[in-house]
Amino acid sequence: MNLAILGSGQWGRSLAMLAAEAGNQPRLGYRGQPPRGFAGSPNLAALCREVELVLVAVPLEAVGEVLSQAQPGPHNRVVLATRGLQPETGLWLTDLVKERTDCLRVGALAGPAIAAEVSARRPSALVAASPYDEVAALTQKALHSPICRVYTSSDLIGVEMAGALVRVLSVAVGVAEALQLGVGVQAVIVTRGLAEGRRLGRALGADEGTFSGLAGVGELVAAGKHPEHPGVVIGRRLCGAGGVEEAVVREAAALVALAQRHKVNLPLTEAVGAIAAGRVKPRLAIDMLMRREATSE
Amino acid sequence: MARSARPAAPDALPVSTSLPELRAALLRRARLRLLPRADGAVADLLAEAVYLERRRFAESRGGLSPEDSVERGQIEEAARAVHRGRAEQETALLGLVGAYAGQIHNTFSPRTYRFATSVLPSGLSRILTAADPGRGRGAAADGAGAGWFGGHVDPLQRVHIRGDVALLQRLARTHTLILTPTHLSNMDSPLIGYALHAAGLPPFIYGAGLNLFSNPVMAFFMSRLGAYTVDRRKRHQLYKDTLKDYSTEAIGSGHHSLFFPGGTRARSGEVEIDVKKGLLGTGLIAWQEALRAEAAGGAPARDVLVVPCALSYAMVLEAETLIEDALKESGQRRYIISDDEFSDSRSVASFTRQILALDASVIVHFGAPLDLFGNPVDEQGRSLGRGGGLLDRRAYVLDREGQLVEDAQRDRVYTEALSGALVRAWHRDNTVMETHLVAYAAWRLLVAESPRRSTWERMFLSEDERLLPRAALAEAVGRLREALDAKVAAGALRSHLPSGADPTEATLRLALDRFSRFHSQPAVAEVGGGRVRVAPRLALYYGNRLAHAGLGDVPLSAPAVGARPAESP
Repeated sequence: MNLAILGSGQWGRSLAMLAAEAGNQPRLGYRGQPPRGFAGSPNLAALCREVELVLVAVPLEAVGEVLSQAQPGPHNRVVLATRGLQPETGLWLTDLVKERTDCLRVGALAGPAIAAEVSARRPSALVAASPYDEVAALTQKALHSPICRVYTSSDLIGVEMAGALVRVLSVAVGVAEALQLGVGVQAVIVTRGLAEGRRLGRALGADEGTFSGLAGVGELVAAGKHPEHPGVVIGRRLCGAGGVEEAVVREAAALVALAQRHKVNLPLTEAVGAIAAGRVKPRLAIDMLMRREATSE
Repeated sequence: MARSARPAAPDALPVSTSLPELRAALLRRARLRLLPRADGAVADLLAEAVYLERRRFAESRGGLSPEDSVERGQIEEAARAVHRGRAEQETALLGLVGAYAGQIHNTFSPRTYRFATSVLPSGLSRILTAADPGRGRGAAADGAGAGWFGGHVDPLQRVHIRGDVALLQRLARTHTLILTPTHLSNMDSPLIGYALHAAGLPPFIYGAGLNLFSNPVMAFFMSRLGAYTVDRRKRHQLYKDTLKDYSTEAIGSGHHSLFFPGGTRARSGEVEIDVKKGLLGTGLIAWQEALRAEAAGGAPARDVLVVPCALSYAMVLEAETLIEDALKESGQRRYIISDDEFSDSRSVASFTRQILALDASVIVHFGAPLDLFGNPVDEQGRSLGRGGGLLDRRAYVLDREGQLVEDAQRDRVYTEALSGALVRAWHRDNTVMETHLVAYAAWRLLVAESPRRSTWERMFLSEDERLLPRAALAEAVGRLREALDAKVAAGALRSHLPSGADPTEATLRLALDRFSRFHSQPAVAEVGGGRVRVAPRLALYYGNRLAHAGLGDVPLSAPAVGARPAESP
């Protein structure tokens, strides 16, 4: 199968390697220098015209621009391998595809596959979600191989929500690590993060179990064990040098606003937003979380 | 008024398929549907039909009608096959499909259509008022003038038709149209038939509930004007599939069709936010069948377009019953209401006369047409992409070699995308009228006066608690109108409100006048002493037309320190 992967960074190249491992012919859409070892083109629109399946693997802030350039059409299936909620619009990334392009068949890819580990051919697993069975199945066919299990799901909203929430919660993991709060606190972040994900997922009509799967707990556990996870690195940085992490502030704010519209509380996400904005010192934020009213689990 | 000049009669009227032809087509489709089913699934389909129909007969209040008795016989005959082999089960299922074909089939008559339309405005007016012929003839005989509305009212002048009707007239000649109106009242079906003729559009076939056929005069006209019968008491899959097959067959043969995608009248008065996708999806099935036929060397596939349509009434005949039903716990709500105001012939006639005696009391807004995936189309019906350029809609269903890819699951999701586009269009094209705005303001003021009470508790406010200062209501109406005008200017929705030197007072007066005309308790009524009395149920019902208009944050009075934000209906 021919497929296009938009983005030639480490994650894009890892996905291309997985696709090749699965017996397919991936082509990378890149900007600047062509990636070594992979076929590709800087003309994203031409790539999209030539293939059915398009995986998007660029940083969150670049997704809108890349979609505008690539202009996938009615024949394409676009799967977002980038996690997150577009902070400016509060749109899920697959909604952004439908809003900006003529492509309707969309999906999302998530899970605890770390680019560096995938590149080292270590075993990994991902979940491909789409309301269109054919999109999830096509993505599975594109990437499933003996070194990567790809599961399908119809719960697109659940997988996108889990991906967005994990990006923020992984910052809390980094904070806990930097403050040397111990393994117990990291477990608390995972389990209470799971509770936040389930509450929000329920309100959004997602499957409650999705956050317990690869896209939610799977990624969060991986973040806790992976010292170079971007969220964890940001968390450590906030505890060290302090300052403001604008991207985290915006993403946390977009999630909290979404949750408020559905009358859902996300205390952990709010705390990360406050730390990232420099409004609250990390240790005080932990203290405030601990002093919240006692409740049942 | 945006109604265009009426063009010449449409090029072609839909030709009624004969019942034997239709039955043969539905049986062919049913057989194809049964073919891939496992033995157990065939048995289940039959068992479900038998079970749900038996239950319906058992729960039938007031005994069975002669038609129901015949159907019970058919079901009992089918029941004998439940525990037999697959061949007998299929025979039983196909027997039921054959029977349903006869029940659903419309008897569209070009002759009746020409007759009815040639005597307009009185022709369709008669349908609207046929329930009370004595009143109409009496009015004419009294010398008040000719006609069923006392001789003073040309109903066509009262039903305001908006939207790009000329575009629809053109597209109706080259495309098959599916008209998808919002649904508020049993008046909607005759109203739409009326509006289509007035707009110079050809007749559409449409599914009408069995209860609408209870009046023999209405049944005669409705059936011959394109209505086919939908018996919503039948809940089993076999019947639903047969209905969908009928719709697919009709669209595929080029009949313009009308569905109410909301499924039933909006109980709460809100513009629909949810859509039933069963019948709506038949457009996509029919189009793909035409593509397949084209690929096999047949005629070029006729494209199918969907036309959203927003109906707005200043007053709704069944308002009291509908809101009562909406306020019941969801489990107790009735999907089919057979004993509302519409079942009383005299109420229908009286209400129809009164509503059509009011200027601009009914607005039919034909929205911009969409393709089957929710994309807008150009003047020639070609799909337009997000960037405004042309889009090849066939690429949604064909593979790269141009072969049709059948995928029912994919098509269901496509229909969801279409549903979303329809809902957005309805909300954008919903026309806010004075009764909606004043009721919304009155309800919000009641909520502000009783912030700790639930919606249900507010239905039982005392007489005193229902009184509001008229000046406060006027101020609220003025503030809301200002915010509304801004939204209208931004194209977010539409309004038809009085203007002039004091538009707020004109709006309030007009609404109070209209409210005073029909319902047993006006939604808002002037009671003297500078006060108005609010009837909570009806204020909630009419105000709900603005429930999703984004006015919930508009303050109703000058902000006071510590004021609570108001709750929207």
